[in-house]
Amino acid sequence: MRQRYFIFLLCLLLAPALAWAQAAATVRGVVKDAVTGEPLPSVTVLVKGTTQGTASNADGSYSVGIPAGGATLVFSYVGYLAQELPVTEGGTKDINLKADTKQLDDVVVVGYGTVAKSDLTGSVGVLKGSELNKTPASSVDQLLQGKVAGVQVIVPSGEPGAGATVRIRGSSSLNGSNSPLLVVDGFPWGDAGNLKQINPDDIASIEVLKDASSAAIYGSRGANGVILVTTKRGKVGKTSLTLSTLNTLSTLPSKLDVWGNPIDEATISNEARSNAGLAPLYIGQDYLGTYYPSLAELRGTDPNKPQWPYSTYWPDLVYRNPFSQSYTLTANGGTERTKFSVSGNYYREEGLAIKNAYDRYNGRLNLEQKLFDNVTAGVNLILTHTQRTGGGLGAGRSSIFPVYNTDGSYFRIGPLDYGNPIGIAENVTNKSRGFDVLGTLFVSWDLTKWLNFRTQISDRYGNSVDDNYQPRNITYTGYQFNGFGTINNFNNNEILNENYFTLNKQVGIHGFNAVAGFTTQSFNVRTSALEGRGFISDVLGNENLNSATTQVINNGGNKSLLNSFLGRLNYSLRDRYLFTFTGRADGSSKFGANNKWAFFPSAALAWKMQEEEFIKAIPSISEAKLRVSYGLTGNQGISPYQTLDRLGLARYYTGGAFQTGYGPGVFAYDGYNKIWEGVPNPDLKWETTSQIDAGLDLGFANQRFTVSLDYYYKRTRDLLRQSYITPSSGYDRVWVNDGVIENQGVELGLNAEILNGPVQWSVGGNFTLNRNKLVSLGADNFVWNGATIEMLRSPLNAYIVGQPVNVFYGYRTNGVIQNTNEGSASGLTGDMAKPGELRYVDLNGDGKITEADRTIIGNPNPKFLYSFNTSLRFKGFDLGAQLYGVYGNDVFDFNKFSPSRQLQRWTPDNPTNAFPSVNSNRAYYGSDWFVTSGSFLRVQNVTIGYNFKSNIIKGVQTLRVYFSGNNLYTFTGFHTGYDPEVQANGQAGGAYPRPRALSLGVNIGI
Amino acid sequence: MQFLKTLGLAVALTGLATACSLKEEPYGFISQTNFYKTESDANAALVYAYAILPEIEYYSRGFITITELPTEDITLKPDAGASNFEFDRLAVRADNVDLTTTWRYAYIGINRANAVIGNVPSITAMAQANRDQLVGEAYFLRALHYFNVVRLFGAAPLHTTPVTSLSQTNAAKGTMQEIYALITDDLKKAIAMTDVTRRDGRANKVAAWGLLAKVDATLASGKNTGVPGYEFVTDAAALYAEAKTMATNVTTNTSYGLDSDLKAVFDVTKKSGPEHIFDVATDRSGLTEGNFSKLPLMFIPYIDGAVFTLNDGTALKSGYNHFITEPALYNSFDPADKRKTDLIPNQVTVNNKTTTLGINDYSRPFTRKFIDPGQVGEQTSANTPVLRYADVLLLLAEASGPTTEGYAAINRVRARAGLGALTPGLSAAAFFDAVIQERAWELCFEGNRLFDLRRSHKMESVLVQKYGKTITGDAYYFPIPSREVDLNSLL
Repeated sequence: MRQRYFIFLLCLLLAPALAWAQAAATVRGVVKDAVTGEPLPSVTVLVKGTTQGTASNADGSYSVGIPAGGATLVFSYVGYLAQELPVTEGGTKDINLKADTKQLDDVVVVGYGTVAKSDLTGSVGVLKGSELNKTPASSVDQLLQGKVAGVQVIVPSGEPGAGATVRIRGSSSLNGSNSPLLVVDGFPWGDAGNLKQINPDDIASIEVLKDASSAAIYGSRGANGVILVTTKRGKVGKTSLTLSTLNTLSTLPSKLDVWGNPIDEATISNEARSNAGLAPLYIGQDYLGTYYPSLAELRGTDPNKPQWPYSTYWPDLVYRNPFSQSYTLTANGGTERTKFSVSGNYYREEGLAIKNAYDRYNGRLNLEQKLFDNVTAGVNLILTHTQRTGGGLGAGRSSIFPVYNTDGSYFRIGPLDYGNPIGIAENVTNKSRGFDVLGTLFVSWDLTKWLNFRTQISDRYGNSVDDNYQPRNITYTGYQFNGFGTINNFNNNEILNENYFTLNKQVGIHGFNAVAGFTTQSFNVRTSALEGRGFISDVLGNENLNSATTQVINNGGNKSLLNSFLGRLNYSLRDRYLFTFTGRADGSSKFGANNKWAFFPSAALAWKMQEEEFIKAIPSISEAKLRVSYGLTGNQGISPYQTLDRLGLARYYTGGAFQTGYGPGVFAYDGYNKIWEGVPNPDLKWETTSQIDAGLDLGFANQRFTVSLDYYYKRTRDLLRQSYITPSSGYDRVWVNDGVIENQGVELGLNAEILNGPVQWSVGGNFTLNRNKLVSLGADNFVWNGATIEMLRSPLNAYIVGQPVNVFYGYRTNGVIQNTNEGSASGLTGDMAKPGELRYVDLNGDGKITEADRTIIGNPNPKFLYSFNTSLRFKGFDLGAQLYGVYGNDVFDFNKFSPSRQLQRWTPDNPTNAFPSVNSNRAYYGSDWFVTSGSFLRVQNVTIGYNFKSNIIKGVQTLRVYFSGNNLYTFTGFHTGYDPEVQANGQAGGAYPRPRALSLGVNIGI
Repeated sequence: MQFLKTLGLAVALTGLATACSLKEEPYGFISQTNFYKTESDANAALVYAYAILPEIEYYSRGFITITELPTEDITLKPDAGASNFEFDRLAVRADNVDLTTTWRYAYIGINRANAVIGNVPSITAMAQANRDQLVGEAYFLRALHYFNVVRLFGAAPLHTTPVTSLSQTNAAKGTMQEIYALITDDLKKAIAMTDVTRRDGRANKVAAWGLLAKVDATLASGKNTGVPGYEFVTDAAALYAEAKTMATNVTTNTSYGLDSDLKAVFDVTKKSGPEHIFDVATDRSGLTEGNFSKLPLMFIPYIDGAVFTLNDGTALKSGYNHFITEPALYNSFDPADKRKTDLIPNQVTVNNKTTTLGINDYSRPFTRKFIDPGQVGEQTSANTPVLRYADVLLLLAEASGPTTEGYAAINRVRARAGLGALTPGLSAAAFFDAVIQERAWELCFEGNRLFDLRRSHKMESVLVQKYGKTITGDAYYFPIPSREVDLNSLL
């Protein structure tokens, strides 16, 4: 009786719930990671065969009603194996989910849609946001280094806010961009390499579209590959709050090769001047207003003079151990109808150089709302404010003189010395501020179960203001003009409208997935530059340029429009044979009148062999997919108005004032030289790359071991080039389409889970090999690339038909001339034939050293790139490491004769062949003496972390603490004290040092 | 049905968006289609034609570099670039950057002058006199550029219409005879179309007379002395007669004359002085090099990087010490010649300490023809003279020969320099040599000497035999730049 009564009461209590959910019992519990024991939030818990279910809370707890008679619960979560749990009655059921190592069914973002990873037909590299190294990086692109096979990332500068050079499958353009197209949340952002507006903590995934099939959907912007960055979205479940912090202390990675000993420096200086036939300076004399101590005085051995009191070690003054910070607060959550992800980030990176820092404030909102059951609307918003102050400083100044005069003013060596880095750091205004917005509004409409229409409008707005002021006593420019100030403004606005249908239908054994649409994007840039020269005082800096004696205003702008039709059809037969056809037609206002529209088709075929019986017969093979693709992609590379005829503007002083004139010939800079353009070329068009790709994806033992191998061949034609035209026409250069370039290569990615028990250990690696060859340059066989380098009085990099791009072109040397006979026997004359000079080689044997003796002396393109990574997990601990290597590239080392090497100079008593004598008037030529192997292997990142148990602090669901070390050590034969990672053209000299960064990170989830 | 409607709507929207035109409209720049319509346009077109002259690559440096370095006037500081040294050592190769640059800039000037000649005559909305003046000046400029080209390179491509499309970029070579015919014709048109009004930095009828006198004297002397390339000239005497007429037109035009104060000729505050027939104009208030000139810095020595004063109190900032005076020229002057004592100062004072610069020192006596004591930063107002009265007087002397008129003309120039009269009774040949030598002293550093040596067939006798230089290659014509040879299929 009592029992009955109890049941009755229970029924009363549960009646509403029963009526609503028709549940007979409730099952509760906590979902955890099977290995780490971390609670898993947002795990979907479904009653099998129904639509009933829930999602786990931030602490992993769930509660779900089951119908009478029991049911099977299905627990599923992205990245984990789904698990089924039969339950017959209510109660507590904790469950441990195993991470899904076989991620074949991950969804991969491709342009204008997504596809299951197993259904990919093209060559696409995938990276999760969590796989990015934890280190200060003002641009996200830097973090891609070594992560994806086929992607080369060069970070030549350690300056906060500096960008990176990104190349996918080599360089395929000479004058157009070689950077991949970067797409942020579906918005084509522009060239990759400088994505400062995205916080790495916000990134859900990065996809790299490498072959023609995957990139052709971006048509005339796809030739260099495409990088898709997708930020985090909201998920159904309780709101989770996460705080991520990263605090970093950095140091110089190695001791710099600069003068540290005044006696050595003065000795070398005197010897260099004597060898040049000039009077030595350091003899205890006043010269040009500066007292130069004698060597004896420097040594303290001069009986009449006290020991020289100064020895300045500039790196200690110019550099510091900077402290950098990053804090990100993220909130994620949502219901069936509303999902959101919001985050805010503060980032501050201090530079190694004093007074140099980069700050960023970043906010992001992704919001989706179901308006009706079949219509979703949403907004994605990214707001970024950046600010850079200061910049790089030289540390190679003379150690003999002090920083300051006794009166506190900056010490000057000679009347026109304005190179005091401390003076520059403390007094020059050098600031840059940027504000960027990317906003997207979209409506997604499920017209039928299998057909969706999406329309969206995006606006990207960017504004930057640069402030500069150079006081009169600090820089030469400041001295020249009695104060020099500028304000530069830049405004960029792009509006994009995209409309496309997505079809998804399975008809029997035939699967269709298709996208078709139209997009239009307008670009609008406006710039203005204000300059003031000559101020009464330096007090106001650039705050009132109107007070300047001379005021200069410049403004400019351009507009362009890109209209596109795009389409893609994925067809699968028996889920085994996959076909993809992609095409995009781009119409650009920038193209010449005779070539307004470009069409870029592509096709791909993949064969999932693991679905075939003969592979199924080998149980250890879990995946075997063969991929082949071919297609065309393009590169716009043309500036607006390049195809129109343009008249130039110039002024001439007549009638007591400057008069403005217009006429043929538009002034431009081609690096060092002024050039004149303006002849129209109405035929100008895009560059076209045709690419074939063959790939094989293999997986063994349920994807514990995976291999992905790709071979590609790319041929780019109609290269956009500034061709010289006959100078007697009155013009120098015109843009034309001629020339062909080839890239081919191999990419290999490997991954192995060696242990997957309580101790999880995996290793991975990738390998990238690219061979680049310039096949044709139109009418030319040889074109310099780049400006004349003052030190060499010649450019250095050249485009030579039959060679890779950017090879070094110059003289060969054969050691150092040891005696006069050797000098004249080498075909050298004058000063160049003296003992102690570099012995240039008379290659053509005509008895003279002339420009005809120059040849190819080096290749800055690496033979291959490689990287290794490993991760180890045990209980709450994890350890990760990444090594990154570049092999077989040459570097032209402008610092070759650094102070430590000047001490090893040639002298009659030290007849070395490694270094010439010191000579302050020597004219250097571009020669192989400067060329050094740039191969290196860098310990890029080591991370050690610990994940605390849930609720170790009350209310804290997840807590992770980790140490991350970056740029820890570099194995290289390159010049000690210098970094071998240099810009893509292989020229090393004067770069901002790359810091060694030691970070402490904390992630807290509540 | 609903679905089809929706689809239709979406497609219609898509179609609407496509309507945006891909045609590119000029933004922020002037194009051929919206120019050459009004009198202001015509004036601006001529201003653009003049504006090429003071560019650093032309009269504010490049032209002086390639015409003065080969002579005995100047040499270079030791660490100057290799292409400069090729000129100093008279071993200029076809790929020399400075050579190519001068070639380019002369032809850019030709194209700009052609744009005026080709477009301005059809602008009807202006008075004919104004239009003629503008077009006439353009003819003068085209003649000047071609005169430079033919004296530097000999036969060269001939463009007489503006280049507006890629198909027009190549032109065949004109012979020296054809080029000189064009020059003479252009100058005669300029004489007919322009007036005698002085406009600073611009040419007028007087400048055209003077330049035609110089062209005629070049042809006549080239023929008389047997300079290679001038064989086509038929009547040297007639050319000298025309030169004399033209020079006399100049000397009888009262608004021009010899400035009695030699230093005033090169005083940037006296640019409207009587001697300036045609200068390339600059002003230190200009915003870019080419609007202002840095040419003085090339000559001014580097004295401790400091401001120094000359003996007359003129204060100058240290320069680049790039072009340095050669002993050959310096030692050739009569010690009393004011063109040496006044115009090539050899003493500088810094902090009350006076230093004498030796002609063989690193910092040497330097020309003060190019100085601007009011220099701001590195910006100076130093004009580069193209034609001045003394030049025309010496052309008059040359064309007149050892006549009373001839002696009178040369002696006016000598008298101003503080020298006595030229030895009377010289033979025609000796008188000609004396005039060429007088031009060397009077016009040194101004871009004349190389042409005078070439047209008098004295390259070897003066530079090699007298001053011990070596000439590699053609002494009378520089090679046509290799870039032109490689690209111009019609050469």
